[in-house]
Amino acid sequence: MLGRSFLKEGTMGKRSLVLFFAALSSVLLATSAVQAQENAPDYAQALEKLRLYSPEDPSARKYLGLKDKDAQFFINQIDAELLLIEIFSMYCPHCQKHAPEANRLFEIITGRKDLKDRLKLIGIGVGNSPFEVKIFREKYSVAFPLLDDRDSAATNALSGVLTPHYVVLRLHKGGKIDVLYSDAGGFDDAEEFLKMVLSL
Amino acid sequence: MKRVRNQRLLSVILCVAGIILLASEAPCISKAFDEKIFDAGDLKPIDSTLKVKVGDPVPDFTLRAVSGGTVTLSEYRGTKNVVISFVPAAWTPVCSDQWPGYNIVQDLFDAYSAVLIGISVDNIPTLFAWTQAMGDLWFPVLSDFWPHGKVAQTLGVLRSDGTSERAIFIVDKQGIIRYIDVHDINKRPPLEGIIEALEKVQD
Repeated sequence: MLGRSFLKEGTMGKRSLVLFFAALSSVLLATSAVQAQENAPDYAQALEKLRLYSPEDPSARKYLGLKDKDAQFFINQIDAELLLIEIFSMYCPHCQKHAPEANRLFEIITGRKDLKDRLKLIGIGVGNSPFEVKIFREKYSVAFPLLDDRDSAATNALSGVLTPHYVVLRLHKGGKIDVLYSDAGGFDDAEEFLKMVLSL
Repeated sequence: MKRVRNQRLLSVILCVAGIILLASEAPCISKAFDEKIFDAGDLKPIDSTLKVKVGDPVPDFTLRAVSGGTVTLSEYRGTKNVVISFVPAAWTPVCSDQWPGYNIVQDLFDAYSAVLIGISVDNIPTLFAWTQAMGDLWFPVLSDFWPHGKVAQTLGVLRSDGTSERAIFIVDKQGIIRYIDVHDINKRPPLEGIIEALEKVQD
């Protein structure tokens, strides 16, 4: 009805009509994409402002391109083009169950020459102390860097987050972060999840 | 002129698009376990007065276990240190993310010759459903439901609304209370607090 009245009044030609429906379609597509991720927040601003503590393990610091142990850093200081973040908790049964598949994802990424320097994986133990993160790392032999939340900065920034929650970020050189994916829950198949991540 | 109109139309469309996109932002939808969690909001951190102190002999109790039968505290006398973890209520946010963490550190408890007992004032069927969602727990979960909260009341951790505090008691092999942490109900006590206390009991 809206389009019809525009046409009747002669204020909108064919090109405009095409433009209108193209814009409307893109809006609907974007809306459904958000809904497909079950309305999970993307945490873009929270992650941009979040300050984490660099890991104790020198090899983890090297992987992330960080120098000083226990120094605070912003996520966009991590040396990667794409960053996958698993927001987890030692106390979360789903995260415990999911740990082997997350490890498998890391193995696949680091085993691919085209990806190992481009795409990096970290975990943020929301609400977890360094001791609790250490327990999780040791129990599940996690080889990718797990960062603690000793000052509750992640808890406050990601209020209400459901663990595990995965976020995929594109890190730009100027410090800008684009959130490409954000969703609660783990994944059943690391290969398939990686394919999805690389298609974003 | 036509171009100007088209530009105006495009601006309107983009504005509408922006509004629709903003409106589509919604609170996170919980999954599985989380969809069943009741958020009681921010509560008074502590709402009871302890009736025991470190160094006191612990009052004995017998409670029904979710797995069947009963557990009597004095059964561990002479053999095990006992960590008692009171949680306020089943199906609440912090509680649901507390015992599953203890569930992966049985070896730490073993290292200090300690057992863990979980207690809540919920009834057995509720505790059964709730703990099923946590996976297989290695420690007994006991119901202090009837007479309601009697054990919690004896120790002084029953809140005025009938729930219990989020509290940790450590009882040594002689039945003496060696550690008490009546924690802010809104926060989870860090695991290292329990482990450090067990180290001291061991000494």
